[in-house]
Amino acid sequence: MRLRWLTMMLVYGLLAGCSEPGTDAGFAGLGGTAGPDDGFEQPGPGTELVFPRDFGPHPAHRIEWWYLTANLETDTGEPLGLQWTQFRQAIESRDDESPSPEPSGWPLQAAWMAHAAVSYREQHWFGERLARGYLGQAGATAEPFQVWLDHWQLTTGESPDQWLVQVSHGQPDTEDYWAFDLELTVRGAPVAHGVDGFSAKSASGEGSMYFSLVDIEVTGQVRLGRETLPVRGKAWFDREWSSQFLKAGQQGWDWFALHLDSGDKLMAFQLREQQDHFRSGTWIPAGGEPIALAPGQLQLEPGTGAEPVPTRWRLAVPDHDIDLTLSAPPGNYTNDGLYPYWESPVTVTGSHEGVGYMELTGYSEP
Amino acid sequence: MTVFTALFSHYRRHPWQGTALALLMLLATALWTGIHHLTSQARDSLGQSERLVEVREQVQRVDGAALTVEDFVLLRRQGLCVMPWLEVLPEGQSRRVIGVDPLAALCFQGQADVASFDGQPLVGQPFLDIADAAALTAAEQQLFLILAAGEGPLPSAYRTAPFALSPDTGQLGDSFLLNLDALSVLVLLITGLLLRSVYLLSLSQRRDSFALLARLGVSGRRVRGHLLLELLCLAALTLIPGIWLGQALASVLEGGFTNVMEGLFDSRQLATGGNHWRVPALVMTVLLLAVAMVDWLMPMVARATPGNRLRPAAATLLVLVGLAGVWLANALWLLFVALALVLAGIGWLMPRGLSLLSGAGVRASAQPGWRWWWAEFGVLCRRLALPLVALQFSLAMVLAVQALVITFEDTFDRWLSQRLSADVYVQVPEGADSALAANWLTEHLPSADEGLWHHVQRGSGRFRHGQAWQDVDIFAVTPVGPLMTGWGLLEQTSQPWQTLASGAGVMVNEQLAYRLGLSVGEELELVLAEQALKLPVLGIYPDYGRPAGEVLIAGQILPADFEVTFESFSISPASVPIETITDALRALWAEPALTIRDNRAIQDLANRVFEQTFMLTRAMTVLTLALAAVALLLMGWVFLSTRLWYFRLLEVWGMTKAEIFRKLLLLALAVTLSAAALALPLGVGLTWVLVQHINPLAFGWSLPMAVYPVFWLELLALALLIGGCIALLMRRQLGRPAVRPSVTGSVTGEER
Amino acid sequence: MGGELANGENVKVHSAVNVSGLRKTFGQGDSAVAVLSGLGFALPAGSSLALMGRSGSGKSTLLNILCGLEQADAGTVTLFGADGRTADWPCLRRERIGVVFQEANLMPTLSLLDNVRFRAALAGQPETRCQHWLEVLDIGELGQRFPDQVSGGQRQRAALAMAFAMAPDLILADEPTGSLDRNTANEVADELFRLQAETGCSLILATHDAELAARCQQTLDLGHRSGG
Repeated sequence: MRLRWLTMMLVYGLLAGCSEPGTDAGFAGLGGTAGPDDGFEQPGPGTELVFPRDFGPHPAHRIEWWYLTANLETDTGEPLGLQWTQFRQAIESRDDESPSPEPSGWPLQAAWMAHAAVSYREQHWFGERLARGYLGQAGATAEPFQVWLDHWQLTTGESPDQWLVQVSHGQPDTEDYWAFDLELTVRGAPVAHGVDGFSAKSASGEGSMYFSLVDIEVTGQVRLGRETLPVRGKAWFDREWSSQFLKAGQQGWDWFALHLDSGDKLMAFQLREQQDHFRSGTWIPAGGEPIALAPGQLQLEPGTGAEPVPTRWRLAVPDHDIDLTLSAPPGNYTNDGLYPYWESPVTVTGSHEGVGYMELTGYSEP
Repeated sequence: MTVFTALFSHYRRHPWQGTALALLMLLATALWTGIHHLTSQARDSLGQSERLVEVREQVQRVDGAALTVEDFVLLRRQGLCVMPWLEVLPEGQSRRVIGVDPLAALCFQGQADVASFDGQPLVGQPFLDIADAAALTAAEQQLFLILAAGEGPLPSAYRTAPFALSPDTGQLGDSFLLNLDALSVLVLLITGLLLRSVYLLSLSQRRDSFALLARLGVSGRRVRGHLLLELLCLAALTLIPGIWLGQALASVLEGGFTNVMEGLFDSRQLATGGNHWRVPALVMTVLLLAVAMVDWLMPMVARATPGNRLRPAAATLLVLVGLAGVWLANALWLLFVALALVLAGIGWLMPRGLSLLSGAGVRASAQPGWRWWWAEFGVLCRRLALPLVALQFSLAMVLAVQALVITFEDTFDRWLSQRLSADVYVQVPEGADSALAANWLTEHLPSADEGLWHHVQRGSGRFRHGQAWQDVDIFAVTPVGPLMTGWGLLEQTSQPWQTLASGAGVMVNEQLAYRLGLSVGEELELVLAEQALKLPVLGIYPDYGRPAGEVLIAGQILPADFEVTFESFSISPASVPIETITDALRALWAEPALTIRDNRAIQDLANRVFEQTFMLTRAMTVLTLALAAVALLLMGWVFLSTRLWYFRLLEVWGMTKAEIFRKLLLLALAVTLSAAALALPLGVGLTWVLVQHINPLAFGWSLPMAVYPVFWLELLALALLIGGCIALLMRRQLGRPAVRPSVTGSVTGEER
Repeated sequence: MGGELANGENVKVHSAVNVSGLRKTFGQGDSAVAVLSGLGFALPAGSSLALMGRSGSGKSTLLNILCGLEQADAGTVTLFGADGRTADWPCLRRERIGVVFQEANLMPTLSLLDNVRFRAALAGQPETRCQHWLEVLDIGELGQRFPDQVSGGQRQRAALAMAFAMAPDLILADEPTGSLDRNTANEVADELFRLQAETGCSLILATHDAELAARCQQTLDLGHRSGG
């Protein structure tokens, strides 16, 4: 019985507190391999996206997430960044048809982790929650679309394109309390990244299924301490699942999702390896079809001298006349949880203007 | 060739000396790092636990139904921080296990602490992952939901109740930590002695080099400077692997230890991993430098130290002053200082004493062979004085800790049995009328055949201390019956329980008696709800849980308007089943959800948690002993190899190798056995100081003192084993051709 | 006295020591050094032999072989008629062979007298004669001193006292005066040869010193014999 826990600790490092970048398991254990004997499915270039099914969980895959980032403004026009994410990490695989384990047995087949953060006036508020799956404490369903862990939740409103996101952290009426309550209006069809949704994460074929909703209108309220701020702006929603994200030797990734003032959107990421970096992205022109960007089409270079992570980046896609400088506002935007990583809003200058979000993982001290 | 290479070439020629110094340094660092790491860990755990323990509450259903996973999910989805705690008695087993959910525990610690969350899972007996606990075939199973501090209002179908896994053992835990501290100080002392001994040996082996350098015109100051540099290099080389080894050692023990501390302090809090390496690195470097520089930095002290003749007198004086201090000390720090004086004096006297013994032996022996043997014994004791003292201290420490641990175990067990003398304990719900229950119990459990019970009421009163009045906890019991009269008393009048039952006296706990200097027969002035009482003290009972003073009285003398803050019934059912009793109480109080605790289960869990704690303490002391033994082994080997020529001389004189080995074996055994024999009184004394002096000073209560002669024999056998190992090592040396001590190198080898 | 007894027991042979074809090589292969190669000599009882030769020529090795502390690779050693291969060496060393080294002949923890008593007791000789031997060697008043409290010459005198106190048949002396100044060395050597002559024991003396060697009845130069 002890062995089971140990296995979980070693392989998934779920409670490991510190992940060691550069180890074979990769950041947060995401480099764990899907072997033929562990029962996990691994998506490939032929795997198709099916809606609305794929908004729900994929228990046959090792890991997945629902990821919302929002670039908002308060009623006085001050920028406010916001993140809500829920992760599912399978400990044992389960195919979609087999029945869920009984809650009364307190099963440990899957662990869920939720993150929420607010970035405002150079400050960063972050919260983290954990739960085991199949109890009802945490989960997700495709129809109606909802994702929850404890009282943090994303639910569908009156129509399928109306979402509500609610998060609160700490005791109300204390200085440490913070919360948000958002109404989201989803526009446009899901954007499939890579090859019809299969997004390669290395030259040798590791990858994930990945789609985004890139045009989401947001209104709502953010509460910080005893202050309530009305906010509005736009959000970006990612769905991604796989059984092996990183290949051995990949240390972490840098990910960017940008809303350009021209109405165009851009997603770009790179996976850092010792020698070479694997880059990929999607250019989503306003009103046009998404265009997958091949590794050679993307230029992505960190600025110099930034601590603890590079907070200025140059991102260029010469084929589409894009040459951008991305910069995080001053402040430390480390999500200081079990696996620390950087999650901050960015402002875009250069060939285009705009806003967006940046996630940097696997740095020794993010 | 620079001075440095000239100095360092010594180690090139005598690599074993450098290796021995490095090895000892490494082992000592590892040991101290390990112990420091564990102590810090324990302290962290304790700190966190204490923050949690004070506000521990559980959730119950208002309808009295058992809690299920659905209740847990419902509360969590309301945003409440609750954690499941599943107690399972596996079928066919007598020991309970507890299933916990570490994922759900995250919200218990506040997000600010997340970075220090070490990820030590709560596994190891008696804790399991809740899924594993739930999968056991259970004879009994009960789910508790524990509520974090300061959580908001519960849904109306739920309410809170206090959650107590075990009696508050915080003080026993503190006492354990204090002992752990004393232990690590002693280990540091032992480590210092060992390092100093190796350092002195290496210096004495190098006197020729120093003399040569002095003749070449190199100033003593410069040589010392280079020696210092050399030591720092050595420290740099050995500290890192030593600390690494220590951490590895600690982490092996840690899994168990973390659980132990958590269990001990009734907390599910996980200790911070923290990097505890800086302190050991600093301490060991300072220790090494202190050990090396004590001669140079304090020439005045050296000059002030009395000459050879006066030294034994000075050391004796030190011991006597120290003993007087131990006897009279009224503050913890004074006691520690006094203890340090005693140890220093004994450490000083011990080689001297053995040397005197050797002299007496020489004088008493007519045969030149025996005269030689006694003289060699004396040289060995002088040359190995420091590691011998270290061994003596280690043995004494092991002995003290062993006695302490057994005492703790016994005491704790007895105290638990006394405090939890009833099988079941039912808390009186707020607003319920305890008189109804008392009447029912009087009627249905009239004698021990049906079952035993008493009614406990707690509250606060005041007593007169000199001219002032002070608050004191009141512990009232009705009736004073067989559940109480089994209590062991430290002091008592004749027939104390009958007198207590009649209301003609009180009993006080040891803490109160210690603080007031109360003894049996004296009168205590009490005020209970404005009613003044003057009653004699009938007995003093041991109480290891809390520092607070407490007065035990018969419930009948409580005034009617006494404010009872806590009420419960302790029940040991016999012919009347417990279900009948609890059903009746539920009906009487119209209260479906009773807080009922099974005292046997509590006792079982608490005992198991202590077992692990003590196992760890023993492991640490044994490690210290091992280090001292290794040091003595190394030093004995190094030193005897310088005297190898003389053992070969015996061979030249016609002794057989077997005869020589016998002499050597006898020497080694005599030396280690003397150290062990001298360690026995020291160890017993140390035990006595720990339980009879340190505990009362720190906590107001003492532990009973006990000695365990069988363990003494074990220690003596261990000392013989160490001696045997030294002799065996030397036998290997004897097989090799001996190098005749050269004119310049004969300084130590020819010592008499 | 002991010498007479020993000779009386071994009437068949007239040599105290008989060595033939003695070989000893240290090391193996290319690094092997032949210290002794085919050495042979005979020492009549009561006579003296000087071993000469450079350092490393095998003087000490030969002495070690002669008292059984080392084994030869080949050749025979006969002591007082006993074959070295089957001899009870510890017994021979205890009772019949006295060994005197250049220095460190005494137990540092025992007084000079106790050292002599220790050695005599091992050899089964009466302790009552021990003080006598110290006096014979002119250090009778130093009996209660420890080795580190007397001079080097006095230490070597004590070593001789120890050797003669055991009533040996053979004394093996390895540079017994090597660490002494010229005058002291001569005095100690005088005592050695005087007592050897008086007691009638045999003596094998290893030395660098040609003058000292010349005082022996025979000389064996190992320096010429050990070519490589």
